[in-house]
Amino acid sequence: MSAASTNRETKNTFRLLAPGVVWMILFLVAPIMMIVYVSFWTQTTFSINSTLTLDSWRNFFASEAYVGALWTTIRLWLIVLTLTFVIGYPAALYVGLLVKSKTVSTVLLVLCVIPFWTSFLIRVLAWRPMLGKEGAINIILQKFGLIDTPIEVLLFSELSVIIGMTQIYVVFMVGPIAFMLGRIDRNIIEAARDLGAGFGRIFWKIIFPLSLPGVVVGAIFVSVMVLGEFATSGALSGRKVNLLGNIIVTQVGSLKWAMASVVGVILTILLGIVVAGFLRIVDLKREI
Amino acid sequence: MESKVLKPILAVYVGFFILFLYGPFIVLGILSFQQGPEGGPQFPIIEWSTYWYRHLFGLTPPSRIAPLPVGEALVRSLTLAFMTMVTATILGVMAAQAFRKRFRGAGVVFYLIVLGMMVPGVLTGLGTSLLANNVIGIERHWWSTAFLAHVVYTFPFAFLVMLAILNRFDGSVEEASWSLGVSPITTFRKVTFPLIFPGVLSAMLFAFTLSFDEFPRTLFASGRDQTLPLAIYGTFSVEIHPNIFAFGVMTTLFSFALLAVYGILMGLSVRRAKKMAMQEDIA
Repeated sequence: MSAASTNRETKNTFRLLAPGVVWMILFLVAPIMMIVYVSFWTQTTFSINSTLTLDSWRNFFASEAYVGALWTTIRLWLIVLTLTFVIGYPAALYVGLLVKSKTVSTVLLVLCVIPFWTSFLIRVLAWRPMLGKEGAINIILQKFGLIDTPIEVLLFSELSVIIGMTQIYVVFMVGPIAFMLGRIDRNIIEAARDLGAGFGRIFWKIIFPLSLPGVVVGAIFVSVMVLGEFATSGALSGRKVNLLGNIIVTQVGSLKWAMASVVGVILTILLGIVVAGFLRIVDLKREI
Repeated sequence: MESKVLKPILAVYVGFFILFLYGPFIVLGILSFQQGPEGGPQFPIIEWSTYWYRHLFGLTPPSRIAPLPVGEALVRSLTLAFMTMVTATILGVMAAQAFRKRFRGAGVVFYLIVLGMMVPGVLTGLGTSLLANNVIGIERHWWSTAFLAHVVYTFPFAFLVMLAILNRFDGSVEEASWSLGVSPITTFRKVTFPLIFPGVLSAMLFAFTLSFDEFPRTLFASGRDQTLPLAIYGTFSVEIHPNIFAFGVMTTLFSFALLAVYGILMGLSVRRAKKMAMQEDIA
């Protein structure tokens, strides 16, 4: 290949990439840099100016409510992550590995995805008539005589937020795991069985390790979404559960841009640590 | 073999799992047929009626419950989703096309693009509004700042879909066209594009639906004029009525209609490709 044609090719690649890359730098990287920058701005009651200060950062760590929101976010994230894994893995195991027919497996996956065609907010809201004091779950439990008085803690509590988030995000765990399980060479399992391995042994020695990249990808999806959440906690907890996202929304609502930015930076750092941590478990580039 | 026991148990489990996914929506669907305007958003159903659907379209006599402010919001959301779809798909096709050749810095560019779908909306939304509001000092609108943020979010999806399609793409047909002296632009239009059209269609579907339903970015980055998700969110803080449930059912039906259009277009393009292949065989 001549130098001229290589040169033209480079130019061509550059032309194709430039619009997208410029867009991302201007409207994704720059805004995130802005959050870091503004977190050091001086906030007064009615305005904000660009004199640099650490005040907002000090206020964050001095406030019990804000630091509490950080811990609530971490706690809810850990609970929802665990639940999506525990609830999602068996479903993925069935869909991705145990179902012999490709068609049935596809149909089941499509069934899991269909709810995503309903607006996210409507899906959150749908939990209200489900969990309320006169909601479906309480009515069913009472009909079967399992409880006498309706369980009130179901709605507008941390529990309702956990239930709502688990249901909304569990599919993001099932998808990647089922995908990895589907790629396992059945002959390996067959061979292990012929050599006398029981299902438990096959599962822990073969199936689970091979599905681990799927678990990691699913965990990253779920973590990123749960950590950045505010709508579910807002709608299902009756403002009782405040996540970092909720703090950002209320701070922006009262034009406290500097504090909102501090929370934004903390959220970014938290996300960075979590994602980097998961990526250490498996080398995704090698696996996929 | 223990999987003889395990398989039926897991089959039942998956049944419950799907019920868990659908349960709330089934309840919501049932309650959307609650009697109105006295019937509340809970059980029991006083009397089955389509009151709340008529209420949604303004076909009921005025009552104390205000109709959902969805009319204009719907138009805005559709416009925004359309703008986002066109921009994100063009950027996605271009970037994926560039990735067919090896180049220096490919890894960095890849992660830069994918970052757009990984960063939580609350952060991109906050950043965009900071940039517009405090640094540049412009007003935020759904068609300006929110549009920019929507493309940041949907462009990576379009890019990944196109990347997957182009990975399986046989480049020799293009080379044949080039060697026959056809210009690269005409080659793209006449040869490459028809072949990657199913992928383009999927990228468009992704971009449109993601933008149409986008909430956190829009909340921060758009001005006072609400899009549809913002209008729905606005009803959260006040008392909810079954009209929002009826609305949920309607939007779901709309999504399915969109999916059907996608399915039909996909079927047509596959059939056309088959027809063309047959003609080639005859020739």
